[in-house]
Amino acid sequence: MKKYITILLGAYCIVQVTSSCNKSFLNETLYSSYSPENLTDSLGFDAAVVGLTNQLATFYNKSDAQGWPSVWQSGTDIAFVPPSQKQGIEVPYYDYTQLISTDGAASFTWTWAYQLINNANNIISTIENPKANINMVQASKNSIDGEARFFRAYAYNVLATLFGKVPLITVPLTAPKTDFVRSPLDSVNAQIVDDLTYAATNLPTIDNEKSNSKGKLYGRANKAMAQQLLAEVYLRIGKPDLAEAQCNAIISSGKFKLVTSRYGVRAGSPGDPFSDMFVYGNQRYGQGNTEAIWVLELENTSTVVGGYAGAPQQRRNWGAAYYQISNMVICDSLGGRGIGRLRLTDWVVYGLYETNDMRNSQYNLRRKFYYNTVGASNYGQQVPYTGADTIFKTAPHTTKWYQYDPNDVFGFAMVKDFILMRLGETYLLLAEAQFKQGKLPEAAASLNVIRARANATPVTAGQVTLDYILDERVRELLAEENRRMTLMRTGTLVTRTLQHNTQTINPVIGLSAKNLLLPIPQSERDLNKDAVLEQNAGY
Amino acid sequence: MKKNGCRSFLCPTPVIKCLLLMKMTVLLICFFSFQSMAYNGFAQEKVTLKLANASLRTAFKIIERQTYFRFVYNEEILPEEQKININVQAQPVGDVVKKLLNNTALTYKIVGNDLIVISTEQKLAVEARTPLAFEVTGRVTDTRNMPLPNVTVQEKGTSNGTTTKEHGTFTLNVTNENAVLVFSSVGFIDQEVPVKGRHSVDIVLQENVADLNQVIVVGYGTQKRSDVTGAVSSVPKSRLSELPVTNVYQAIQGSVPGLSVTQNSSVPGSGATVNIRGLNSINANTSPFIVVDGIPFSTTGGNINDINTNDIASIEVLKDASAVAIYGTRGSNGVILITTKRGTSGKPIIKYNGYGGLENLAHIMKPLSPAGYVQKYADWWKQQNPTQAQPTILGNDYEIANYNKGQTVDWIKEVTQQGIIQDHNLSISGGTKDVRYFLSGDYLNQKGAVKGYQYHRASIRSNLDVNLTSYLSLGTSLFYTNNNYDGGRANFYLGAAMSPYGTLRNATGDYEIYPMYKELLYANPLLGLYNDRIERGNNLNSNFYAELTPIKGLKYRVNAGWSYLPGRSALYTGRKSNDLLGTATVTNSENKNWIIENILSYTRDWQKHHIDFTGLYSAQRTDYFITSTVGTGFVNDLLSYNDLGAAATLSAGYVTKINDINYYGSYRNRADLLSQMGRINYNYDSRYLLTITARRDGYSAFGSSTSKYGVFPSAAVGWNISNEEFMKTVPYVDNLKLRVSYGKSGNQAIDPNATNSTEASVRQPFNGVSTIGVLASVLGNKNLHWESTTGLNVGIDFAILKNRINGSIELYKTRTDDILLKRNLPAATGYTSVWDNLGKVSNKGIELMLNTINVKSGDFKWESTINFSANRNKIVEIYGDGKDDIGNKWFIGQPIKVNYDYKMVGVWQTGDKTTGWDYGAKPGDLKFANTNGDTSITAADKVIQGSPLPRWIGGLTNTFHYKNWHLNIFIQTFQGAIRNNVNLTWADEAGRMNTAAEVGYWTADNQSNSRPSLSYTNTRGYGYPSKDNYTRIKDVTLSYTTPQKILNKTGLGSLTFYFSGRNLYTFTNWVGWDPENDFTFRGNSGWDNNYPLVRSFILGVNVGLR
Repeated sequence: MKKYITILLGAYCIVQVTSSCNKSFLNETLYSSYSPENLTDSLGFDAAVVGLTNQLATFYNKSDAQGWPSVWQSGTDIAFVPPSQKQGIEVPYYDYTQLISTDGAASFTWTWAYQLINNANNIISTIENPKANINMVQASKNSIDGEARFFRAYAYNVLATLFGKVPLITVPLTAPKTDFVRSPLDSVNAQIVDDLTYAATNLPTIDNEKSNSKGKLYGRANKAMAQQLLAEVYLRIGKPDLAEAQCNAIISSGKFKLVTSRYGVRAGSPGDPFSDMFVYGNQRYGQGNTEAIWVLELENTSTVVGGYAGAPQQRRNWGAAYYQISNMVICDSLGGRGIGRLRLTDWVVYGLYETNDMRNSQYNLRRKFYYNTVGASNYGQQVPYTGADTIFKTAPHTTKWYQYDPNDVFGFAMVKDFILMRLGETYLLLAEAQFKQGKLPEAAASLNVIRARANATPVTAGQVTLDYILDERVRELLAEENRRMTLMRTGTLVTRTLQHNTQTINPVIGLSAKNLLLPIPQSERDLNKDAVLEQNAGY
Repeated sequence: MKKNGCRSFLCPTPVIKCLLLMKMTVLLICFFSFQSMAYNGFAQEKVTLKLANASLRTAFKIIERQTYFRFVYNEEILPEEQKININVQAQPVGDVVKKLLNNTALTYKIVGNDLIVISTEQKLAVEARTPLAFEVTGRVTDTRNMPLPNVTVQEKGTSNGTTTKEHGTFTLNVTNENAVLVFSSVGFIDQEVPVKGRHSVDIVLQENVADLNQVIVVGYGTQKRSDVTGAVSSVPKSRLSELPVTNVYQAIQGSVPGLSVTQNSSVPGSGATVNIRGLNSINANTSPFIVVDGIPFSTTGGNINDINTNDIASIEVLKDASAVAIYGTRGSNGVILITTKRGTSGKPIIKYNGYGGLENLAHIMKPLSPAGYVQKYADWWKQQNPTQAQPTILGNDYEIANYNKGQTVDWIKEVTQQGIIQDHNLSISGGTKDVRYFLSGDYLNQKGAVKGYQYHRASIRSNLDVNLTSYLSLGTSLFYTNNNYDGGRANFYLGAAMSPYGTLRNATGDYEIYPMYKELLYANPLLGLYNDRIERGNNLNSNFYAELTPIKGLKYRVNAGWSYLPGRSALYTGRKSNDLLGTATVTNSENKNWIIENILSYTRDWQKHHIDFTGLYSAQRTDYFITSTVGTGFVNDLLSYNDLGAAATLSAGYVTKINDINYYGSYRNRADLLSQMGRINYNYDSRYLLTITARRDGYSAFGSSTSKYGVFPSAAVGWNISNEEFMKTVPYVDNLKLRVSYGKSGNQAIDPNATNSTEASVRQPFNGVSTIGVLASVLGNKNLHWESTTGLNVGIDFAILKNRINGSIELYKTRTDDILLKRNLPAATGYTSVWDNLGKVSNKGIELMLNTINVKSGDFKWESTINFSANRNKIVEIYGDGKDDIGNKWFIGQPIKVNYDYKMVGVWQTGDKTTGWDYGAKPGDLKFANTNGDTSITAADKVIQGSPLPRWIGGLTNTFHYKNWHLNIFIQTFQGAIRNNVNLTWADEAGRMNTAAEVGYWTADNQSNSRPSLSYTNTRGYGYPSKDNYTRIKDVTLSYTTPQKILNKTGLGSLTFYFSGRNLYTFTNWVGWDPENDFTFRGNSGWDNNYPLVRSFILGVNVGLR
C-alpha cells in the first residue's frame, strides 16, 4: 500500500508542477478599468470627449475648499469676504501678502488645466494618427478632434491668462517627465489660436448637434463656443480686429438672440426676462434660453445618477445667510441656503446700476428681506437693514445662483446649470474689440444692444472707455464671469480693485502689479527636478 | 541534573506538539515538538554507528538523530572518561545500545515507543528499598496560569519522580517531609521547591525564552532554538492570555524588540499599524507578512481580528534577512508566524476561559465649560469684527434660548456610555496517539464606550492530526470567524465640538437635528444612532495537509489551503437622521484564495554532522470581488436597506480605492504567485551552524515588460560558543551563541494592475441623461518589479547565572533598493503620480531582549522582561541624482517620514513689527522663524523638525509571584518622535464649535505665545508638529491560582481567577485625546470615526475540567 500511495502522490505532484508551470499563470488581466487601447472606436472617442466636459466641470463643482468660487471674485473690484464667513482658500486673494507659491487655488487650477490638456492630447494624437486603424468617417473624426482641441485651447487660455508663460505640451506622455520649461507666451497663444480655428471650422453649429434620447446635445461643444473663446483670446493677445470678426460671426449666424421677453418655467410668476434666464429649467438653449451658447448642465443626483460631481458652492458663496436671523426660514423664493462667503462691494451695491436697469431689479439683485415665519409676530415685516447683518445676513446679493431643494434644505451642493457663454457677453467682447480699434460709435452701439434689453439709458460713443466696458460687464455678467480672470486679462486688476474695493472690513491688503500673474505652484517647480520652471516675478 | 535535548526535525508544518514520556526513574522528560509522526514499529529501527574514541553522550546523540528514540539519563552516572569504539551497520537500536553499555555499570530500558532510559541497577535497588513515606500533591502552571501537563517532578538527589497530568496535577511520595522537589520541563526554567512538611505544593514555572531545547517555528519547518541562525523572536506567552484584547496586535504591542505596533484607533474591532525593524518602503505596504499555521494569511484579505487569540499556541517574529528570505517577495517587511494549538494524545482536556469587564475613556480632553464657551464666542467676535459690537451673547437662536433658560448639555456624557467587554472560550483537546484533535469555540463581545459602537465575534476552530499509516499522516486546520461591527454610531467628534448651550432633543423626544440651530453645519452627534447599519466580515479558512515519509529522513508534504472571505455591509440613513430622501447602501465582497505547497525535506546525520534540506514548490491565487449599490429616494424609512427596488434612484456605490482610482459599483482583481524555495541547514556537533536559503517568486502584478520573477538568497552562520570544550570551565555561562546572517528579501507589495495605464469612467448628464465618459487616471509602468532589501544581522544569545539572566542582542543594517515609490509627478504631465522602482532606503538598529529573575526567595519570586529597540531610518537615494524631493518631503539622509514645516517660534503680539519678517501678519497670528533671513515667510523657510518614526521603543514586564498570587505589570514606551497635532490645527471653525479647554487661544488681553488668536486662518497649512512621546502602564494583571487541595474537593482540574486593567495610565506631554490614536477633523477621512483610547478593567476565570 505504501508503494501505491507513494506513486499516487508522486504522480499528483508531477501533474501539479507541470500544470502550474504554465507561463500564462502569471499573466494579469485588467478587470475593472478601461485602458487607453480599449477605446479607439467612435463610442470610445465619444466617451473620451464626454470625459473632457466632466474634467471641465471639476473646476466649477469644486467643493473641497468651499471658498473656491470666492477666489475668483473677492479681492477684485466687485466683492470682499465677510470676516466670519471666510473659509481659507480665498484668503490670499484679498490678503495678497499671503499669496505665495504654495497657494492652493493656483495649484489646483494648474493641475486641473493640465489634466484637461492631457486628456485632450490623448484624443487628438490618436485620432490624428494616420496609422491608427479607426473605423470612423473623416467628418466624425474631425468633429471629435475639434471638440478635443476646443477644450485644450480652453485650458491653455486659462493658464496663459493666470500664469503667463507655461509649458506647452501637445502630445500625450507615456512616461514620467520632469524637465518642463515655460514656453514663450507667443507659442502658447499660437497653439490656442490654431486649436480654436480648427475647432471653429470643424465643430457643428448648435442646431446641428447630435441627439440623445431627450433631444439635441446642446451641452456639447459647438462652433460658436470656439468663436467666442477665440474672440476673447484675440483680445488678450492684442488682435482686436480678429476678435471683432469672431463676435460678428456669432451674431450674424442667426443661431442666437438676446432674451427680451418672459419665458420658461416661471413665466407666470413675478420676474423679468433677465431673471428668467437664471431659473433652473430655463437656462439651456433647448429650454428656451436663446442666448445660451455654452451651458454646463447639472442634474439633481437624487434623480439622475452622476448629475454632478463634487458639490458646487456658488449658491452658498453668493447667497446671503438670512437664515441666521430669528424668524427667517430657508425658502425657495430666497434661493435656499446661502452663507454669504462673499459680499458685493458697496460700489456694486450702491454705485453701479441705474435704478431702472432690469439687471438691478428685485428679481436679480435682492436688497430686502421680510420675516417669513408664519405665525411670528413680525411676519411679513421687513428685516431691518442695519449693522453687522448687512455684511452677510441681509447682504444685497445676486439671485443668479438661487436654488432650493426641499429634500436638502442644508444644501451643501447647488444643483443649477452653469451658463458659461451667452450672447450677452458676445456683445461685450465685440464692444471691447471695437473700442480697442478706436471704433467708439460701433462700441457704443454694441453696448447699447444689451443696455436696451435691460431698459438702461443708452451710452454715447464719448462715454465708452475700457472702464465703462468693464463696468458694463459687471452689470451684465455679475456672478457669471470669472471677474478675476477678466481683470487679469485686461491688466486692470490692481487699479480697479484699489478703486472700488475700499471697505474697511477685511480690506484688500498688499495688492500690487505682480499679482497680475499667479505664482507658478511651488510643488510643480520642486517636482520638475531636471529643469527650472522659472517663477513669476515677485513670488 | 541535566536534560538531554530533544532534537527537533524541520517539520514542514509549523505545529508544535508536545509529547510526553515518563518513567519512574527518569530524570527528565522530553518536550518534543513535531507532528504527525508514526509511533509504532520504532523498536525495530536500525542504527548505523561508527565511532572511535567518542563519549557515550555523543553516541546517544547520534542515535537520537537517526531514530525517533530519545535517551533519558542522569548526567552524573555517565562515565565521562570512558571512550567508546563501535562500528555497526543497520543494527536494531536495542542491540546497539546494549553494545554501547557493555563495559559500563549501566543498564537500559525501552519505555513506551521511543524512550530509552539509562540507569544504574544499583540505584534502582536502593530506591526499591527506600520507604516512601510522605505524599505530596500539587499542580504546576505557567506564568499565565495555564496548567502544565508533562512536567517532570523529581525528588532531589533521587531518581524518584513523576510527571504532571493533563491539568498539571501530580502526586508523589517522597522520602521525608524535608525533601526538595525539582520541577523541570522543556521551555521552562527548572525550579526547586522544598516540601517543608506540606502535603500540597502548587508552583508556577517560569518560561525560559532562551531555552535551547525549545522548538520554535521558523517557516516551512521548526528548529531547536539552539540551532537557529537568524533573528527570530518569540512572543512571551504571558502576552497571549488574561488580557482584554480583541486581536493579536493589541496583545503583542511592546513585547518583542524591533516590532512596532501603533494602535491608531480604539474603535472596537479596529486593527493597528505594524512594522518590523523600521520602514523599508515609502509608498508600498510596510506591514509584516502574517502566516498562520504555515499558510499565508495577510495576503488573503484576512483581518487580524479573524484569529482568535485564545487559539494561539505561539507567535514567532522573523526579522533578519536570513529568517525572512524563505518568504521571498513577501519577506522584507518581516514575518509573523502564528501557530495555533493542536491536540495531544490523552484524555480529553476541556477548558473554559472567560472574562468580563468595563471600559471607559482613558483620558477626556475636556471641552470649554458653558462659561468658557460664552467667553470664547465673545473673544472670537472681537477678533473677527473689531469694528462692530457683538449683537448677541451667542451666535445662534437655540444657543441664545438655552442660555437664557440656563440649560446646558454635557455632550461628552451624551455620546458616551459604559463600555463592556466579555469573552468566552471553550476548548476541547485530546486524542489517541494516531488521532489528535483540538476544538475551540469563542465568543467575544465588546460594547463600545462611545454610543452605538460595538464589536462581537464568534469563531470556531478544528485542528486535526491523523496518522493513517506509519508513513502517511493527514491533518486539517479549519477555522471560521464571524466579525460583526454592526450598529449606527454616534459621532464623537461632533460630541466634542457641540455648544454646551445646544439642544439635545426636540419636542417629540427625538434628537434635535441641529442642536445649535440656526447653525446648520453641525448636526446632532447622536443622529447616527438612528441609522441602520451592518458591517460584517467572515473568514472561512480550511487547510489540509498530507505527509509522506517514504524512506527514513525523507519527507514529502503537501499543503492545500482554501479560504473564502465574504464581507457584507449596509447602511440606511433616513428622515430622523436628517436624510429627507432616505438613502440605502448595500455592499458585498468576497475574497477567494487557494494555495498548494509541495514541500520536500530530507534530514541526515553522520557522525557529528547533521544536515537537512527543505525544498518548496508552490502556487497560489487570490481573487477579489466587491460590489455596492446605493438607493436614494424612499417613500418612508420602513424598508431600510432591505428593498433597493423601492428607491427612486439606484446608483453605483463606492467600493474601493486601488492604485489611486476610486471604483464604484463593482471591482475585481486577481493576483497569482508561483514560488520555489530551497534551504539547507548544516551543523557540526551543535557547535557550528550554517543555513543557506534561496527563494524564487513570480508575481503576476509585476510589469509585463520585465521579468516577473525575483530571486532572494541568504546565508547565515552560528557558533554555539558555550558548547565548546573551553567553555566548560566557565561555570556561570549557561549559553553563549553568536549568529551572523546576510541575505536579500523582497517586497511585492503593490496592488494588482498597478502596471497598467487606466482610464476612469465618469458620468456627465446631457439633457438629463447620464452619459458615460472616460478620463485618463493612472499612468502605468510596465517595468515595475519588486523592491529588494539586503541585510546584515549580528546577534548574540546568552544565558548566565543558571539562566537567572538571559537574553539576546541584535545589531542589524539593511538597505532597500529599487523601492516601489509612488513618485509624484509635475502636474504638467497630466498625472499626479506614477509607481516606480526608484531610490534606496537604509535601516540600522539595535535590539535588546533581557529576561531576569531578580528575586527568588521562598514563595516569592520577581521576574522581569525588558525589550528595547532603536531603529534609524534613512533615505539614501531618491532619483539617483543626489537631489531631494521637496514636493514629496523626501530628503536624502533623513528618515522616510519627516515633518518638514515652518518653525513656529511664538505668536505675533500687539505692537510687534512684522515688516521684513512676515509682512501682513497680525497680532495673534503664528510667528514663524524666518530661517533663510529674507524679508518674508515663504516655503523656503520650512525646515525639517523631526520624524514621526520613534527614536526608540521598549517594553518592560515585571511579574511577581507569591504563593498562589501572581502580579504582572506591563509598561510600554514610545520615544523620540514628532507628529502633527490636529487638535491644535483648526481652532474653532470661525466661532462655530466648542474647543478643548487645554488647547486655549490668544487674546489681546492674554497674549499667549503658543496659541494663535481665534481669527487666525492657517493659510500656510502649518501642521503643529508636536512631540508624541508616551509611556503607558499598558496592562496590570493580578491572578490567583486555586491550590490543588481545594480543587480536589471540587472536581475541577484547574481554576484561576484574575483581575486585569489595561491602559491604566499614560505619561505624556501631548495635548489631545491620546498621542497614539489618530484624531481627525471634520470633513477629513475618518472624522466620523474618532474614538478615544479606552481603559478597561476585567475579571476573568480559567477553568479546566477534570
